[in-house]
Amino acid sequence: MPRTAVITGRGVVSPFGAGVQAFWSGLVAGQTAIGPITGFAAADLQPNAAAEVRVPRFEHPDRAGGFALHAAREALGEAGLVTDGVGVGVALGTTLAGMAIFEAWDGAAIAGIERVPYYAPAVTLATELGCTGPVATPQLACASGTHALALATEWIRDGQADVVLAGGTDLLCRFVVSGFNCLRATALVARPFDAEREGLVLGEGAAIVVIEEAGHATARGARPLARLVGVGASADATHMTAPDRDGRGATRAIEAALADARVPPSAVDYVSAHGTGTVYNDAMEAVAIARVFGPDAVAVSGIKGAIGHTLGAAGALEAVLCTQVLETDVVPPTAGLRELAADCRGLDVVRGDARPHATHVAVSTSSGFAGANAALVLAEA
Amino acid sequence: MGAPAIALTGAGAVPWPSPDRIPHETAELPAEIAERVARVERISALVLLTGAAALRDAGIALVDGRRVRGGVVLGTAFGCLLTNAAYQRRLVDGGVAAASPRLFAATVSNAAAGEMAIAFGLAGPAITLTAGGASGLVALGHATSMLRAGRADMLLAGGADAVDDPLVRWIEAGGLAVGRPVVEASAMLVVEPASVARARGAAVQAMILGHAAGFVPPNDPDGAAQALVHVIRRALRDAGVDGERVSLVVRGAPPALADLEERALRAALGDRASVAGVAPKEMLGETLGAAGPLGVLALVGAAPRGTIALVLDVCASGQVAAVVAAVGDLA
Repeated sequence: MPRTAVITGRGVVSPFGAGVQAFWSGLVAGQTAIGPITGFAAADLQPNAAAEVRVPRFEHPDRAGGFALHAAREALGEAGLVTDGVGVGVALGTTLAGMAIFEAWDGAAIAGIERVPYYAPAVTLATELGCTGPVATPQLACASGTHALALATEWIRDGQADVVLAGGTDLLCRFVVSGFNCLRATALVARPFDAEREGLVLGEGAAIVVIEEAGHATARGARPLARLVGVGASADATHMTAPDRDGRGATRAIEAALADARVPPSAVDYVSAHGTGTVYNDAMEAVAIARVFGPDAVAVSGIKGAIGHTLGAAGALEAVLCTQVLETDVVPPTAGLRELAADCRGLDVVRGDARPHATHVAVSTSSGFAGANAALVLAEA
Repeated sequence: MGAPAIALTGAGAVPWPSPDRIPHETAELPAEIAERVARVERISALVLLTGAAALRDAGIALVDGRRVRGGVVLGTAFGCLLTNAAYQRRLVDGGVAAASPRLFAATVSNAAAGEMAIAFGLAGPAITLTAGGASGLVALGHATSMLRAGRADMLLAGGADAVDDPLVRWIEAGGLAVGRPVVEASAMLVVEPASVARARGAAVQAMILGHAAGFVPPNDPDGAAQALVHVIRRALRDAGVDGERVSLVVRGAPPALADLEERALRAALGDRASVAGVAPKEMLGETLGAAGPLGVLALVGAAPRGTIALVLDVCASGQVAAVVAAVGDLA
């Protein structure tokens, strides 16, 4: 019997607060957590909107590590997994890790310097939870969280681990807000797929899932929440910051994930889109999704109008969203979307109210700087 | 049907880890790649040069349209931190108005892999992983698994880190590279299914037989040794190789963790006097993300064909990785 990966636990820290339920309730209600930045000096940052995590309070400058650890504990709790960590792996994406600590560095020794590198949040999880399995940090920019779940799936299938904590975490700081602002990629409101979309709004948070070998979960009487049946990745190989206008890279990642899952496009009921609210991303994605699934053939939604673009955490949060859609047969509305853009026609984007929608198979897709694309196929347990 | 065997058919590295074989010259790059090397950030230039050398060594054209079955897997300990520092300096000195979009766009650690994907037209998976000093071997392991699973027909896999004096001071202040001078390095390998390599008549320099990764808790010496033993055993099991067939160990531990590495090797391979050891870092310094792939290259350069070796990376931040490789074509 081939080894297969299932999700048995989930944890979230999002701008809607701590916990999967707070995240899900906010999304289903169509709320947005975007507002003026209050967590650090931002008067000179224009625009200065973001979706910040305010509850619970994370005072330590290693917010990414703190978010991830909080989410991991919730995930282990839902999985009912009491473990000493031996053999447990960690695959945790991030694009900023300890940048808030790095920002404060003036050349002198500072406390917490070891928490700056990109691998640090994964090391924090492994150290705090005693994990001795494989530990790695995928770096695919805004697709990092998505590939973290793919890497974990590979470890499960290959017998490198029976249990992996996988996900993504990222934080807001001056470094990242000033950076996206100077690229002119940001707006005060995120409106994915909207006719008047002007850019993305940054967010922060973390999502961790417990990915387990199916037989391992069954043997301990755990209830799988979803199956992770397909993973795929690709490079645009065209431009470092602008997505391939024809969506060929995203298409290849989605098709690779479907082929890996041995699932035809017609079997997919729901797509969680990357949907940043930038002009180019959303148009590119509309082309790719319509090409793979056919025009208006699948329900699509995006969460970045609700909780902002959480960068390395986004793909992991969206995978948790997919597990909820599979479980409840409800697709949350796309917050911020008022009128579908002409260049996004061909997408059945859920907006306004949450939509009851029988969902057996879901696809989550992510794209990032340097032309990175990644996609997951999740199926109901 | 078993998973395909994975072959190493080309390599490019700076510094080159063994004296007996000179890497291909990279001076005559196609103009568009040479221009790219000149304008990109330092880590990207390093991987472009060594990636080009690896492709040439493997007999693969540098430019050949869009290759959707070719990809990149790069390991890096600190990724784009050098670029982050440059961006941050301008932000601090000149305020928000001085923020550089060009620099910010390169403050993602996958920028180097993205540059390779664009330069060489590799449109399959482009993955960057960081696992501290074990990044390079973790990347090579991921590449091996992706090839076995049929996700690509050829991957440029390896590791790199770009450093400057302030970053080195910072790394040392953080205790992130203990005991050896930090050295800038890049090592890129061409890996492909052995069947693909043989079909195109490529010389197989080594076979990647198996791999594993793990984490050794920094504050628990006994638990750490046990964890490393498990990683070595998992790599051997993945390779389908009995520990007694390993006749060479490429060591990767920093001095402070050398005892841990030694204890784990004895426990995993038995107390065999015949297991020779080499430690490229003693010659080269702490090469961070490039260390593991440089270890594989040291093996290719130094050991006779048929040698089965265990290549280790043991890192101060806790990540460890092992690759089992054989010199030459085992077919």
